[in-house]
Amino acid sequence: MANPLRLYLACIKNTLEAAMCLQNFPCQEVERHNKPEVELKTSPELLLNPVLICLNEAEKCLIETSINSLRISLKVKQADELENILTKKFLRFLSMRAEAFQVLRRKPVQGYDISFLITNYHCEEMQKQKLIDFIVQFMEDIEKEITELKISVNTRGKLVATEFLKQFM
Amino acid sequence: MAGAAEFVEADNAEAIITRIETKSRKIESLLKQFKHVEALKTALEGSPPKTRDERCKSANWIVVHRAIMVIKDIDGMLNALDVEYYDILMKYLYRGLSTGDRPTCDQCLKIHEKLTERAGLGCILRCLTDTVNTV
Repeated sequence: MANPLRLYLACIKNTLEAAMCLQNFPCQEVERHNKPEVELKTSPELLLNPVLICLNEAEKCLIETSINSLRISLKVKQADELENILTKKFLRFLSMRAEAFQVLRRKPVQGYDISFLITNYHCEEMQKQKLIDFIVQFMEDIEKEITELKISVNTRGKLVATEFLKQFM
Repeated sequence: MAGAAEFVEADNAEAIITRIETKSRKIESLLKQFKHVEALKTALEGSPPKTRDERCKSANWIVVHRAIMVIKDIDGMLNALDVEYYDILMKYLYRGLSTGDRPTCDQCLKIHEKLTERAGLGCILRCLTDTVNTV
């Protein structure tokens, strides 16, 4: 049977390719303003149906599109308490440095771990295909990073405990 | 046309639900005869158009879900299904993916990949943009 994770990433990739059709659209309410419509949701005719893709009960991905912007929110798998804390800290670290990533959102959407906001300006400066590859690669790498962090925390804990308890031997 | 749509909502919600129930009985009998593709076609055909009533949509979703979960041979099913059903099937697949239930999501992901290969990105885009006929 085909790997469900691979199918999940393929589904997200296809949906993003279809959804990332953004164009410049100045704000309708206020003149000379240009805002990402997916964040404000002022006019329903500018918004497309949001799509929720779940791999299982723990991991999901919400893709909301509008005429000039696209928001992707991810919920990452967190098996136990330690992974929960590590994920939160690690993703907070990344979100704080959202300026460097350009497409990252400073705060994740309620109920999710991390969010991306892609606007038409990003699509003009960067290649659409590469943006999609970046998001999919990010999802693959997050898992590996969190597992590595968890292993290193456990190793350090073991070392510290061994050293500390040596004095009692 | 718009008048007809409201007419459907107010009076015929009950009628639609009864229609869906008869449809589900027909589908059960088709599934017993192992006619999976026929069952899926029947489930997708009577999709209530332009209804805002959540109960009709949920009732139809339960029926379509039943038909989708029994499918084992996805390529064969897509070969036999007509092109006009691709869009509606894609909408129901996204509804299935939003449930979060593991076996449903597994099945929907498998079908989604094959359906995208056949129908292309246009099918996905039609699901995203169609805010009027949602499932």
